[in-house]
Amino acid sequence: MTTTQQSSRPRPSWFTRFWAVVRYEMLWNIRKKKFIGVLIIAFAIATIVLVAPVITSKTTGVPITANPNYAITFGGSSLVFFLFAIGTAMNSISSEFESGNIVPLVTKPVSRTMIFLGKLFGAFVIILVSYVILYAYITLSSVLVYGPQNDLQFMPIILIGSLISTFIWVSLLFAVGSISKNTILTVLVALGLFLSLFIAIPLVSVIAGASPSLNYLPGSGAGGTMMINNVNMTINTGTDNLGVNMVNYFLYPQGNVTFSKINIQAIQAGETALPTTGVLYTEPISLVALRALGVAFAYIFVFLFVAWVVLKKSQILE
Amino acid sequence: MDYAVETTDLTKCFGSLTAVNKLNLKVQKNTIHGFLGPNGAGKTTTIKILVGLLKPTEGSVKVLGQEVHVDDADSRLEIGYMPELPKFPKHLKGAELLDIYGRMYGMTQQQRAEQIPKLIELVGLKGRENDLIGKYSKGMQQRIGIAQALLNNPELVILDEPSIGLDPVGMVEVRELMKTISKEGMTVFLSSHLLFEVEQICDHVTIINNGSMLASDTLQNISNTLGPAMMHIELTDLSDAVISAVKKLPFVSGTWKTGSTLLIQVKTYDDVRAQVSQAVTGAGGVIVGMSQKTSNLEEVFLQLVTKDKEAKPNDHDATE
Repeated sequence: MTTTQQSSRPRPSWFTRFWAVVRYEMLWNIRKKKFIGVLIIAFAIATIVLVAPVITSKTTGVPITANPNYAITFGGSSLVFFLFAIGTAMNSISSEFESGNIVPLVTKPVSRTMIFLGKLFGAFVIILVSYVILYAYITLSSVLVYGPQNDLQFMPIILIGSLISTFIWVSLLFAVGSISKNTILTVLVALGLFLSLFIAIPLVSVIAGASPSLNYLPGSGAGGTMMINNVNMTINTGTDNLGVNMVNYFLYPQGNVTFSKINIQAIQAGETALPTTGVLYTEPISLVALRALGVAFAYIFVFLFVAWVVLKKSQILE
Repeated sequence: MDYAVETTDLTKCFGSLTAVNKLNLKVQKNTIHGFLGPNGAGKTTTIKILVGLLKPTEGSVKVLGQEVHVDDADSRLEIGYMPELPKFPKHLKGAELLDIYGRMYGMTQQQRAEQIPKLIELVGLKGRENDLIGKYSKGMQQRIGIAQALLNNPELVILDEPSIGLDPVGMVEVRELMKTISKEGMTVFLSSHLLFEVEQICDHVTIINNGSMLASDTLQNISNTLGPAMMHIELTDLSDAVISAVKKLPFVSGTWKTGSTLLIQVKTYDDVRAQVSQAVTGAGGVIVGMSQKTSNLEEVFLQLVTKDKEAKPNDHDATE
């Protein structure tokens, strides 16, 4: 070996080292079977949703009604966001400790902050590219199934909203992974929280109506309605509907969302056979969208801060 | 003196367990420095502190003249480190791993293109560099571990048990490699439990037990000052008078009779053949042949560790 001593070796830039970590993470992500599985599931869900009306139409002979707003209102689903987060971030930090790969990594001239940010950015790029392909597929398919689509210039906002929603889960996985250093525990905590919210939010909605408290939890939030051109439009709030509600705000800046409660007691008392609703409160769509954005960023910031501090303070005993 | 590694009263405790105890380690530049100790002596803990994986409880560490702090990325630019039984991402190919690590060191594309194939060949992985590390055997992982430690042409290479998992040919190759890189100006700090390996290639040796230093010097000096020596004297006729005369010498700690050969254990490594010869001939003995053999590292090591265990019988083993 011919070695050239480089005692006055130039110090590599922060970005050079950071980018090396991003490459490390991205190569891992694109080769993960879990991630490939998630990608297949996401495309399968989108395909089923889009193909189902075509099959129904063929079976029943009823033509598909043109819907020029289909693509713009197809905001993704909580499950897809959660799955993408799991596919990319479930073992991003914990597995480094479990496998012992962390030792050679942190003994290279990269700080733990670089490793943390590199991993985060790697996950961001992979999810962004996946969502761009997914939303392009949905948009194209929407045109084929439901005819020409309106307001497609807002598709990037839907995409950004989906990314932010996904990153709540990514941040949570980073935080739990950093603390526990155990992938199974990380997934169980995230899955437990996801399922709890998935069950709790509809339950709260039935008992307390569209309670304002639902707007401060990650997930689907409270459900309301917005009157647009004399048509009552269903508005789902919460961080999972961030993109759609930002678009709603741009399209209908003066819109107001009305949140109601079903009067169950009246049904139980036999006062009425059909459910009646009572208005709980009304909020402008701007508040609904901005609050969801604020709540999402608050969760992301807190979870990522916890993950970063814990990773930075970790002593590696492996 | 300019040291590659210098620790001052380095102490690391895990709860009530003291893994490293006021260690004052000095590794001279451009040497191959062996770091020895029984299992649980605190070798790996010390190394982890040197590379910034663990924070010392007390004391300070300087590597290549710079204070070492946990998470100080720049301090690792001139260090190559191979952990004990290294683990690398299974999803990466051997060459990809070196390429990514090279980028972390700030190596240019041209530097990586030159250095990586050279290292791949050097560690005997040519033809397998494009296989996923997940498909590598234990010995191949060890080899890629050595390659990544040398990737940046570091001033200091820290190798923690580099021969574990290697076949005999691989072990010889690694020893030759360490000699080569030392000649080219790198300082090698080698932790090993293979005493013959250390004996063959190291200029300096530090022996620790229970986290404390027992000895640190050149191999020759350690043997001379600490190790016992044996003298073999072959006589025409070995009488009790000769044995008795030899036993009276102040530097003799033991004698054994084997036929007409007298084995004498001496406490010093000064050349005492003249005094022994005088005592033997004075007692009527006729010497046919005489030799003085210094102890090997294994004997020195065992003697030091045994003495330490006898002196501190209640000390717990430190974690590795």
